[in-house]
Amino acid sequence: MLKMENTFDFRSFFFFFLFLLLGSTHLGNSVAYTSSSSTTMHTNNWAVLVCTSRFWFNYRHMANTLSLYRTVKRLGIPDERIILMLADDMACNARNNYPAQVFNNENHKLNLYGDNVEVDYRGYEVTVENFLRVLTGRHENAVPRSKRLLSDEGSHILLYMTGHGGDEFLKFQDSEELQSHDLADAVKQMKEKRRFKELLIMVDTCQAATLFSQLQSPGVLAIGSSMKGENSYSHHLDSDVGVSVVDRFTFYTLAFFERLNMYDNASLISLFSSYNPSMLMSNAYYRTDLYKRRLEKVWKS
Amino acid sequence: MALLLRPIVSFLFFFATIAYGSVIEEEEFSEELLLKPLPDRKVLGYFHFESKAPPTNTYGRHHRLFPKAIYQLVQKFRVRELELSFTQGRWNYERWGGFDPISSSNAKPPGVELWAVFDVPEDQVDDSWKNLTHALSGLFCASVNFLESSTTYSSPDRSFRPFSGSLRYGTLPREAVCTENLTPWLKLLPCRDKAGLPALLDRPSIYRGFYHSQWLHLTSTESGSVGVESGIVLEQTLTVVLQPNTQRTSKTYSSDAVIQPSWSVSSIFGRKVSGRCVLAKSSNVYLLLEGGLVSEVKNLQKENEKSGAGSIAIEGFWSNPGFELSVIPDRVIKEVSSLHSKSSSVLYEFLIEKYSDSKPFDLGFTWKLPVVWSCPQAPLHASRFLMGSGNERGAIAISLKSTELSGGILGADIIEDSCRLRVDVFQVVPWYVKVYFHTLQVFVDEQPQTVTDVVEKIRVSPSEDKISPGVMEMVLKLPCDVKTAALTLEFDKGFLHIDEYPPDANQGFDIPSAVISFPDFRAGMHFLEDNSSNNSPMLSKFQERSPVLSYSEVLLVPLTTPDFSMPYNVITITCTVFALYFGSLLNVLRRRVGEEERLLKSKAAKKTGRLPELLSKLSAKLRGRPWEPPQSPSTSSSLISRKLIFKVTLVAGIAAAWQYYSG
Repeated sequence: MLKMENTFDFRSFFFFFLFLLLGSTHLGNSVAYTSSSSTTMHTNNWAVLVCTSRFWFNYRHMANTLSLYRTVKRLGIPDERIILMLADDMACNARNNYPAQVFNNENHKLNLYGDNVEVDYRGYEVTVENFLRVLTGRHENAVPRSKRLLSDEGSHILLYMTGHGGDEFLKFQDSEELQSHDLADAVKQMKEKRRFKELLIMVDTCQAATLFSQLQSPGVLAIGSSMKGENSYSHHLDSDVGVSVVDRFTFYTLAFFERLNMYDNASLISLFSSYNPSMLMSNAYYRTDLYKRRLEKVWKS
Repeated sequence: MALLLRPIVSFLFFFATIAYGSVIEEEEFSEELLLKPLPDRKVLGYFHFESKAPPTNTYGRHHRLFPKAIYQLVQKFRVRELELSFTQGRWNYERWGGFDPISSSNAKPPGVELWAVFDVPEDQVDDSWKNLTHALSGLFCASVNFLESSTTYSSPDRSFRPFSGSLRYGTLPREAVCTENLTPWLKLLPCRDKAGLPALLDRPSIYRGFYHSQWLHLTSTESGSVGVESGIVLEQTLTVVLQPNTQRTSKTYSSDAVIQPSWSVSSIFGRKVSGRCVLAKSSNVYLLLEGGLVSEVKNLQKENEKSGAGSIAIEGFWSNPGFELSVIPDRVIKEVSSLHSKSSSVLYEFLIEKYSDSKPFDLGFTWKLPVVWSCPQAPLHASRFLMGSGNERGAIAISLKSTELSGGILGADIIEDSCRLRVDVFQVVPWYVKVYFHTLQVFVDEQPQTVTDVVEKIRVSPSEDKISPGVMEMVLKLPCDVKTAALTLEFDKGFLHIDEYPPDANQGFDIPSAVISFPDFRAGMHFLEDNSSNNSPMLSKFQERSPVLSYSEVLLVPLTTPDFSMPYNVITITCTVFALYFGSLLNVLRRRVGEEERLLKSKAAKKTGRLPELLSKLSAKLRGRPWEPPQSPSTSSSLISRKLIFKVTLVAGIAAAWQYYSG
């Protein structure tokens, strides 16, 4: 039912003239930029991937983030343009039966941790303060380049967050909260400072949709795993690792991206329509009102 | 312009003339791997990589082999010497040895340890340190930047090197060490992990081990104030203790001894060496057999000969009754003299340049008979523990126990009866563990001693709350025949601000390892060498006679943790009480009750509310009393004013009580 509604929604968007290519890796072939939202050229793609949960039983959140990291890298964003924040060490955790490996599927075909993972913020460094500093670019002078989001006004940014959340908040490390107002303010400041052209926020937590309620900045597209009052559930348990290894929303997002390669021209709308509420056990939410271009020709990362 | 240039040119000339001697003239890189069977059925793997860069003045800024990131670090922060280690696991000094160069200089405490010496004026050292920690955190994907806060680092006086003033030392005992730290470390090597010995480093096999420690040491004379510039030397070592698979060895022998598991390079690392890194000057694998093991094997050999198995020709030491090597070594090197064993150690050298993809190097070590031996020990075995209970106070105890070495070797060394064993102790304690240094007690052989008898020198810098950690450096002189010695220090546990607790505060807080060194003893291995072995940086490193050093355990101190939801509870209850208080007070003050009631009455009278009237009539009838019309306002107003006074006093009373108890 809901899926039908959504597709209808997007149909209506088709009447809105614009094209969009959020982060297409090759500008040449595709898209005519139209005048309306911003006239700056798309310059580069960035990704900020955040796992906000500590402790071993939150393994799946780290696996979610690392899966996205792998996907984003596979689709062409280099390591220096990915800010990866992991709140705990799962790969070399004493509880991990597979040292230096992280899996997002019980078939263990894919080691997400690989040999070449670059974690920029980890452990106690993953705080609301540091997260907001990364977004707004207000660092101390000593902070090295690899820990900064050095985007510009032509950048397309993917912001992915996963953890435990609730009505208008997301918990960091089980001790702090990021509120929807904080996020909206940070995004507003980013817009003011011309740090992005387009921003795709993807959140996999319980009641993820509520986190977007305060967003006002143009050029922001938000996808959440569940509506207000809904939980986001994990996908399956790996009995060898002993914990759940991936969340449903991320699992189906990845399933969509695994079918793509670097040169595909998949649109965001096909991603949206790939979410099936009965599989997710929650209703994925998209906020598109701040986004002025058509969702048909989009890809991120 | 010419005027400006002249001093520079003459400066260069000056250096060109004096810069000879130990000066590096070419960029060099070498890779070496040392394998050593350990007595407790494990195998030690020790990778040693060394890169050298000539001084900038003579060579310029462009490097072919030397990592650019490190060069920039040296240039920017004017680092004279730097040591950084990432470790997981604890080195087992009793079983894996405590006297050899590896355990003294490469067995590091868990987490991150960093010290650096800067070539800047003393007032800028802290800034350089801060910037360096940030740069290293970006370079090695670790939270080394937590060392920037002045509560985490200290400037020891003499325990490390004689660079007082410009040395900074800090540790992060809980830092996780994983792939993301090893990969950037390997990226500093010219062949990365694509070719040569580093290609062996399969991450899951390494991190499955019992101990791994990656270590980086940098010496530079770039910054000039020292005089002669000899360039930058970067040493990188990786020390891993791995467990060979034990499935194949099901053979049991008549005695209780179980045969050690046989292993090969491919079985412990999961990979083989397929050729050297072509950029390396030398690329060798060594197998080290310790003196203890060598003498055991020799005994076995003698027994064999006695028992009539004369047919066994001595075809070299690599195939003997004790074990067998699958690859014939290219060279056998013997240790010149050994302090602590009848037999000296033996080193087998394998040259990797002889191997290739089609013929990979896979050294196999097969045990044939059970052999029991032990590793040389440091004179005293140090351990540290906590005493006391409760959340208020406790005590740190460092205990030193003599090992077989101090009994034997020291006894031989006694010249006078006043033989003394020097032990240096260096201990950093975070500020929230408030150590009382006056409570220092020393016990020798379980007898309490006067502190001044045993402690020769002591330097203490007490902690300052939220500013600096407590540092204690001590030089102890213990009698040579000491069996046990112990030091205790009492402390109080401090309180942190609620924002300063880490998210997993209930796990407790770490006290970094204490460093215990024995400056009278030098861990060095001198190998009998011909000229060709001069070019092995690892062996020449082993010959440097560094003091024997060991790290104690990290201590975990549980501190009282607040209920972190308390602020919310307090805020909500305070708000509720305030709302009640002010609400009712305003209500009382602003309402004119008498007026209102009169108004209501008159309204009621006008409205001729039938139902209440009927009800009251009914109830009056039921009670058997005559029904009266509602009371007159005058009587009710006096009654209400009494109520009002009561209310006001009640609210004021509650407020006063609240003030009293919360204040």
